Amino acid sequence: MTKRLVFILTVAVIVIGGLVSCKGAEPVTSYKIGTLVAQTGNYAGLGLQSLEGMQLIVDKINDGGGINGIPVELVVYDDKSEATEAALAAKKLIEVDRVHVLLTGTTTSLSMSIVPVGNEAEIPTVILTGTSLFDSELGYWVFRPAGAETDYIVTTLNYISQNLDISKYAILIENSGYGQGGKVFLPQVSPSYNMTIVEEQYFDPGATDLTPQLTNIKNSEAEAIYIWGSSPTAAMAIKQAREMGISLPIIVTPPQLDPRLLESFGQYYEMEPSVIAVTAKMDVWEQLPDSDPAKAICREFAELYTAQYGHPAAMWSVFGGQLIQFIEDGLKRSGADPANLEEARMKIRDAFETTTDLDLLVGAYTMSPEDHFGIIPEKTKMTMVTFKDGQVVLLP
Amino acid sequence: MDYSVALQIFFSGLNLGSIYTALGLGFFVVYSVTRVLNLAQGEFVMLGGMLTVSFYTMGIPLVPSILLAVVITALAGAGLYRFIIYPARKSSDVTKVFLTLGFAFVIEGIALRVWGWEFRSLPAFFNTPSIQLWEATIFGQTPWVIGVTLLMVVGLFLFFGRTIQGKALRACANEPLGARMMGISIERMALFSFTMAAGLGAVVGTLITPLTMTSYSMGLPLTAKGVLAAFVGGITRAEGVILGGLIFGMIEAITAGLIPGGYHSVIAPAILVLIFLFRCRGILVIAGRG
Repeated sequence: MTKRLVFILTVAVIVIGGLVSCKGAEPVTSYKIGTLVAQTGNYAGLGLQSLEGMQLIVDKINDGGGINGIPVELVVYDDKSEATEAALAAKKLIEVDRVHVLLTGTTTSLSMSIVPVGNEAEIPTVILTGTSLFDSELGYWVFRPAGAETDYIVTTLNYISQNLDISKYAILIENSGYGQGGKVFLPQVSPSYNMTIVEEQYFDPGATDLTPQLTNIKNSEAEAIYIWGSSPTAAMAIKQAREMGISLPIIVTPPQLDPRLLESFGQYYEMEPSVIAVTAKMDVWEQLPDSDPAKAICREFAELYTAQYGHPAAMWSVFGGQLIQFIEDGLKRSGADPANLEEARMKIRDAFETTTDLDLLVGAYTMSPEDHFGIIPEKTKMTMVTFKDGQVVLLP
Repeated sequence: MDYSVALQIFFSGLNLGSIYTALGLGFFVVYSVTRVLNLAQGEFVMLGGMLTVSFYTMGIPLVPSILLAVVITALAGAGLYRFIIYPARKSSDVTKVFLTLGFAFVIEGIALRVWGWEFRSLPAFFNTPSIQLWEATIFGQTPWVIGVTLLMVVGLFLFFGRTIQGKALRACANEPLGARMMGISIERMALFSFTMAAGLGAVVGTLITPLTMTSYSMGLPLTAKGVLAAFVGGITRAEGVILGGLIFGMIEAITAGLIPGGYHSVIAPAILVLIFLFRCRGILVIAGRG
């Protein structure tokens, strides 16, 4: 009796196994984009925004009949805000899900962990980092159509030197991959605006008390503080500075515009002189003058986004959307057959590398074999904003 | 060095030191009775903070919110002992430590489902304003942190030194067999220590939320810091935990204020490692008195 049962079970396993593997052999009829975003963990806030932006553009493509008639499919894994998890999930996307393009859309550290994976597996990979630090390390297969510190820095220093007449400033930098960008590029760019960094302080993401660092800044000759960080601790630094009675102008980077941070720390952001931030024009597109060509591009995305999700697009949603738009452009020009995986991957990569003057939400890009970042500096879409009555306000 | 920097570093160290001491006390209470390092302690801190924020934002006044949060968290502590540690009471201490770690992950997972990933904050207790003192700043919440930590310390000393219940708890750790022969139920005492530690943890959670904010994922990092503080000073004695917490806080504040180039985050733990090298059972623990 037992033997018979074992026999039946064995046969059943073999038959079901066969059926499952048959299903895997069906021809691939869509472009599969293997996507890694943080859905849990420290960077979940950014990752979830990013994913919304990606899904929006993918839906738009499919509603319009796909790319050259071929639909696009987003295969999403949670990297749990951990670099190791990201690399492991990337391998799974490449080998098990057999995707055509690999995409990450959360932070620098999470993106950089899949750069070697993408190059080794020879799969076109699109990443999101907020830094130009690693642009020379992207390799043959990886592209980064995103923003760069130099964009922020040029826009910021231009504003504070011209409009606020400031020449000496302090930097308060997060000890993280994101912070490294500020640490390296601020001293490089400052001299060309006749600006001097007179005090340099650092904090850990998750730190409790930044008063020692802020006291050092308070006692320096600094006329403004540039806080460079991506964690909520950077927003807490603003609160602590204001509670310490430091009334210097404070400048922050785009992650500090997260609406949830504004909700918690808005009152400190708005204390005189209210915090100044550098951000993408997308964040304040409604306030842009009609003469600004960026306005139309931003409007289209923003209206589509609000219609879909019922809330306005946040910064990382814009990044997510832009990454898919970049991939869309490449797929369109590649003429790749999704059923022929290896050839498709090669063709898509070649198409990415020949991207020319592609005007997207955050910037415009021209890729080349030497430059897989490819931003066109004259076409930057960054601007300065401040905070008033719970709103982000465009600075003239 | 400017004296205002020195003073600010001192205040910051005192603030951080009190937080680490308060964190360490929860480990001490469980360890000194059961010899189990409770790696879920940080989760109790997180629960205390998150529950207080939830009740407070529902419109319940601060003090009842805190009390509710402490009671619920203490029950979670009792649950950890009764349903996880007690059934495994015949296992080795290492097994029990890993069970507490497993429990920590479960709590974290539940917290993510309930509260989402967002950071939450509270205003300083009773909106106490920041104080400027000789060109240094003391945040409104800091006196509350220091004061309540002090109360916890004094309370624990009185409890362990003066009450029958407290003495019975210590007896369980020092002489389990003797304690049992005197009619003390080790299991009951262990249940009590887990409950008390969870309650203390919840108090710490509400105390630090106005300063650090809270989120579902802050439990394990807090566990790491609390364990370090407790072990540097010597986890078997309350004095050791207090000293360890204060030293840890001061080292963090001094390095943050004086070490340039962001290296403070490397140097502070390195100093703690050095202390471990020379005093591997904690500063206050002398051979034979552990």
